[in-house]
Amino acid sequence: MIGFSKVIISAALLLLAGILLNPLAAIAVEQGEYIAIRKQGTGKIAIVLDRTSAKGKTESAWAQSLDAIVKDGLVFSDLFSILPPPSNIRAEGKDKAVNFSALSSVGSEVYAGGSVSKKSGKVHLDMEVYDTFGSKLLLKKSYTGSEAELRSMGHAFCADLIEMLTGKKSYFGSKIVFVSSKTGNKEIYQCDFDGQGVQQLTNFRSISLTPVFSPDGRYLAYTSYTSGRPTLYVKNLADNTIASVVKNGVSVDPGWRNTGEVATTLSFEGDQEIYLVRPDGSITRRITSSRGIDVSPTFSPDGSRMAFVSARNGLPQIFIQDMQTGAVKRLTYSGRYNTQPSWSPGGDKIAYTTWEKSGEINIFVINADGSGLKRLTSGARENESPSWSPDGSMIVFTSNRQGGKRLYVMGSNGENQRRLLQMEGEQMQPSWSLFR
Amino acid sequence: MNTRIRGLIVVMMIASAGCSSKNVATSPDAGTDTSQLQQGGIAGSGSQSGRGYGFDEYQTGPIGDVFFDFDSSMLAQEAQDRLVQNAAWMKSNPGRSVLIEGHCDDRGTSEYNIALGERRAVTAKEYLVRLGVSSSRLESVTYGEERPFDKGQNEEAWAKNRRAHFVVK
Repeated sequence: MIGFSKVIISAALLLLAGILLNPLAAIAVEQGEYIAIRKQGTGKIAIVLDRTSAKGKTESAWAQSLDAIVKDGLVFSDLFSILPPPSNIRAEGKDKAVNFSALSSVGSEVYAGGSVSKKSGKVHLDMEVYDTFGSKLLLKKSYTGSEAELRSMGHAFCADLIEMLTGKKSYFGSKIVFVSSKTGNKEIYQCDFDGQGVQQLTNFRSISLTPVFSPDGRYLAYTSYTSGRPTLYVKNLADNTIASVVKNGVSVDPGWRNTGEVATTLSFEGDQEIYLVRPDGSITRRITSSRGIDVSPTFSPDGSRMAFVSARNGLPQIFIQDMQTGAVKRLTYSGRYNTQPSWSPGGDKIAYTTWEKSGEINIFVINADGSGLKRLTSGARENESPSWSPDGSMIVFTSNRQGGKRLYVMGSNGENQRRLLQMEGEQMQPSWSLFR
Repeated sequence: MNTRIRGLIVVMMIASAGCSSKNVATSPDAGTDTSQLQQGGIAGSGSQSGRGYGFDEYQTGPIGDVFFDFDSSMLAQEAQDRLVQNAAWMKSNPGRSVLIEGHCDDRGTSEYNIALGERRAVTAKEYLVRLGVSSSRLESVTYGEERPFDKGQNEEAWAKNRRAHFVVK
């Protein structure tokens, strides 16, 4: 027990909205408090992922799928080094207890294992997680779902595991919405956080751009040329009704302030200014008032401040406006062409792109107070449209480093940049949902 | 679907606009147009591409396009001269209306370019209105970097894509 006295994190019971699990079957035993065994920033967590045990042919196939789903999920998170289970992992005998000394000897800090069974036609997964050194049970939880929900179940476990170990919500179950020219027209698509499960959301055969989900996932806002001019549409995903902003001129590049307000650029009053719009398409109020382009609004998590692009001083720079007082201050001073701001879910950082003298477009992060500027990409052509994962640990972006524009992800410090998905055509303007 | 039909109509319009300037040289419309172009002082071989500023393989209609500097929606002198001639054509062809498309090169970022493209189209439109063309005959739309004319990645191609493109209806 001595090893458990460092950091105390109260772990709330995870409610996985959107994932069809039986909540009664999902019980975390260790929901009171979890005593973290690690300090932050001590590298990857060494975990032994045991094979999920199962009786019967169907159950064994489920177990195999679940093992792959969980392993892929943990690999994607980049938080773990996954060790192969030692052969003597289970002690002999009836109870088959976990052999903790064998786990410690291979350097494992955490052990996860479980069993899968069929209960009234449903898949039933029981998982246990132990701290290897203290032989302490950290998490015991059951997940139930249909066979079609194996992926959601595996990811629900990954989410619980990561939240327990890091104290942070993870992105498992979140979606990324983006634009692709796969069909020859720019249409809107979505995929899971890991690039799986690609789904085409529009078939307008027009130009559709800048999709973004509302923070609660109820609405999708996007710009489309279906009327012949770029118009903002807000689609209610529950009943598929679509509202639009019926105004002359352009309406482009929405950014949600909260579940009931989306900001967008409109030009019906002459100059291009940013306005707040309700999901029914009606206008709440105008936010900006300056000669020149004002575009690409993104909000602090509490909605009190808006970062946006303005050409009020000539070339585009990023500014922050206080929503209450209307006070505006310039955020970016490095680089002549700064666009595409994205406010982090933690509220402290803003990611954006700089078109550099070299011709490259690179992604930078800066603290919301203007300090701590850091370049995340370099030497890889054009890198655009950064968007944060719901937990702030990763950034999805567009890059043409391997030819056409494709989607990539990286850690929030720029580490481990890799391609998100394989798909025909070009992919661009990704936006990571904040819900799951 | 809507847009596809509209696109088809636009294509047909471009085609017919191209035809009228070529075939109906005796009509008053084309006559006015030609004389004004010659006044512009640009020696042409008589071919479409030889009609000077505002005309190229992407603009062969009765009125010419205007071009912009990088990240700019300001009208240079040549662009203003071109718009004066476009205004004159519109006055002598009161039955015709025009769609002005704002375009950008594909450098920079696409959301900003949508906004920039609108400023280019609107700047051209407002200039024509100041020259006495009724705004009811002028529509504008921005395509940003979405519909580049020249897909090349060099200054020549980029310069061609930074334009307000006139589609006569």
